[in-house]
Amino acid sequence: MPTNKPTGAQLVISTLKALGVDVLFGYPGGAIMPIYDALAGSGLRHILVRHEQGASFAADSYARATGRVGVCMATSGPGATNLITGIANAYMDSVPVVFITGQVATHLMGTDGFQEVDFLGLTLPVVKHSWLVRDAAQIPAILARAFAIAKEGRPGPVLVDIPKDVAASFVEASEMGELPAWTPPAPKAESIDAARALIEQAQKPLLYIGGGVHMADADAEMRDFVERTGIPFVSTLKGLGTVSTYHDLHLGMLGMHGTRAGNMAVQATDLLIAVGARFDDRATGKLSAFAPHAKVIHFDIDPAEFHKNRRADVAILGDLKQALPALQPKMPDISEWVKFNKTNKWQHRFKYDAPGKGVYAPGLLKSLSEKAGKKFIVACDVGQHQMWVAQHCEFEQNLAHLTSGGSGAMGYGLPAGMGAKLGLPDHHVVTVSGDGSFMMNIQEMATLRRYGINLKIVLLDNSSLGLVRQWQELFYEENYSEIDLSDNPDFVEVAKAFGLSAFRITQRHEVEGAIDRLLAADAPTLLHVLIDPRENVWPLVPPGASNAEMMEERWDEPIDSY
Amino acid sequence: MSQSIHIEIDRLEGTLLRVLGLIERRGFHIDQIDMYDLGADTRGLSVTVRPRDAGRNIDILGLQIDRLYGIKRLEHAPERAQNAEPSAEKLSA
Ligand SMILES: Cc1ncc(C[n+]2csc(CCOP(=O)(O)OP(=O)(O)O)c2C)c(N)n1
Repeated sequence: MPTNKPTGAQLVISTLKALGVDVLFGYPGGAIMPIYDALAGSGLRHILVRHEQGASFAADSYARATGRVGVCMATSGPGATNLITGIANAYMDSVPVVFITGQVATHLMGTDGFQEVDFLGLTLPVVKHSWLVRDAAQIPAILARAFAIAKEGRPGPVLVDIPKDVAASFVEASEMGELPAWTPPAPKAESIDAARALIEQAQKPLLYIGGGVHMADADAEMRDFVERTGIPFVSTLKGLGTVSTYHDLHLGMLGMHGTRAGNMAVQATDLLIAVGARFDDRATGKLSAFAPHAKVIHFDIDPAEFHKNRRADVAILGDLKQALPALQPKMPDISEWVKFNKTNKWQHRFKYDAPGKGVYAPGLLKSLSEKAGKKFIVACDVGQHQMWVAQHCEFEQNLAHLTSGGSGAMGYGLPAGMGAKLGLPDHHVVTVSGDGSFMMNIQEMATLRRYGINLKIVLLDNSSLGLVRQWQELFYEENYSEIDLSDNPDFVEVAKAFGLSAFRITQRHEVEGAIDRLLAADAPTLLHVLIDPRENVWPLVPPGASNAEMMEERWDEPIDSY
Repeated sequence: MSQSIHIEIDRLEGTLLRVLGLIERRGFHIDQIDMYDLGADTRGLSVTVRPRDAGRNIDILGLQIDRLYGIKRLEHAPERAQNAEPSAEKLSA
């Protein structure tokens, strides 16, 4: 019956607009059809991906790159379950994304209806919060709350599951009400004083910078703290770029594939200052041997992180934007310590003169980051190439490095690059992927083509699941079990079939020209790079070992033809 | 050793499952649960838990429960945030 009352679905769309959403990613289907019906002609920019997982990763990286809340929609049942990897990814890396899913009509719920799954139940462990909407009139308030929860405190994904009949029902016009305000807690003066006292007594202080600093929008305060104190710093995978990786005092990433200088500093420090970092096992190695001589100061917005893995001598709960400027120590003389670290950094710097004529991936990535300049954003996949990016690319800003850190989800790179490029169209966004990872969301090349998203892709092809192969080589006595991808398709042809430009290199002398050509292209382009399948990531801290027990680089005899 | 946690929770979709799931996922056995009505929007929940291994710390669990939405009050768990002490077994140094 025609009426001028809005439907629940119309309220979804009008609320998203009122919340300032301009891009959302999704894929339609039965249970979410009322919402897609309301979407058409609404002015919201919807990116129709080719797989819901692509939508979830794209929304995640859009949020990381822009600092806004990402939005992603899918239908019930298989549409929703295809989002789970992306939801878990956003949860592990604390990324604010609102997921809106269709659900079967209320009267069918609990009957094993067509395309019914208990999505709220399935996602409980990997969302910050969730709703199953029972009353369409509540949609504006719920969505507004969902956006607020996604962003406040420690950010994370929020799910809003909407049954089809609720979306289709007419409601009295409903308002989203006041957007709930949230003020981050201010740090306690006693904790700041206690931290200051520890720094003033320290001889070998070290900053351990995690992804939480950028999430707190405290990059500038962190940079200022480094300048004021002159304390050397290491970064986690997610912390890279928070303070420019070009900085003199940057000792690189710590942990499993960290730099030698970084891990040596952690072993030697007498005061570890963890800022927005969570003592993840990939960073700490064997916990009992991590920073064994250090007292710990821990800054975090999430009280549940304190003492979780490592007891903190001083835990500072609250807003980093306030806490870092409030901490004004009178610095002791740490010049010997700084010298010790700079010497290590120089002595153990990466070398790029690998023997042979084949493409040396670390060297290629170094050139790529140099040539792309300051407006460079990399979205990587998961594997050896991801670790090479972390080791060999330089980042002026934290948002320049998009990676599936906590969850380590292959298939992230291509959709993540797409989301970032949509969010920041004037940046050079490059996806660096491996042949295994790329295949996991290869269909999103069609999305690039459709919307003319000018993403560049560097595909480092070693015809295998490289990182798994490396572990099998080192820790499973070269028992190469199910890692061979030598029957990969011709990726250049595949990319062309999707309507992208594509070209291939196999030799080192081709690298510079290829990067220039890639960056200059004005359409989405794939650079397919054949690399030595036996190349490994060095250094490496073996699983379960302490960060002091790094395995060192060694050059293999080169294979110069493929 | 068993310990009890007393929580006041909102009568919201999924809150109960969230609490119980979190307790189990964070490495605690649930030995007993009691629920009682505390008015229109609130339910009381007493959960007796036992750590699955020596590395599990009830204060940390309390902080994790506390950060769930829909939790109104938590007792016998942590002195919030800054002073929660971890168990010696789990922690290094
Ligand atoms: C979805 C998913 N499945 C499996 C893994 C386990 N895994 C980690 S790295 C890796 C190999 C990645 O291979 P590729 O993408 O070719 O990159 P390379 O290591 O060769 O650079 C695998 C299988 C994962 N991280 N994610």
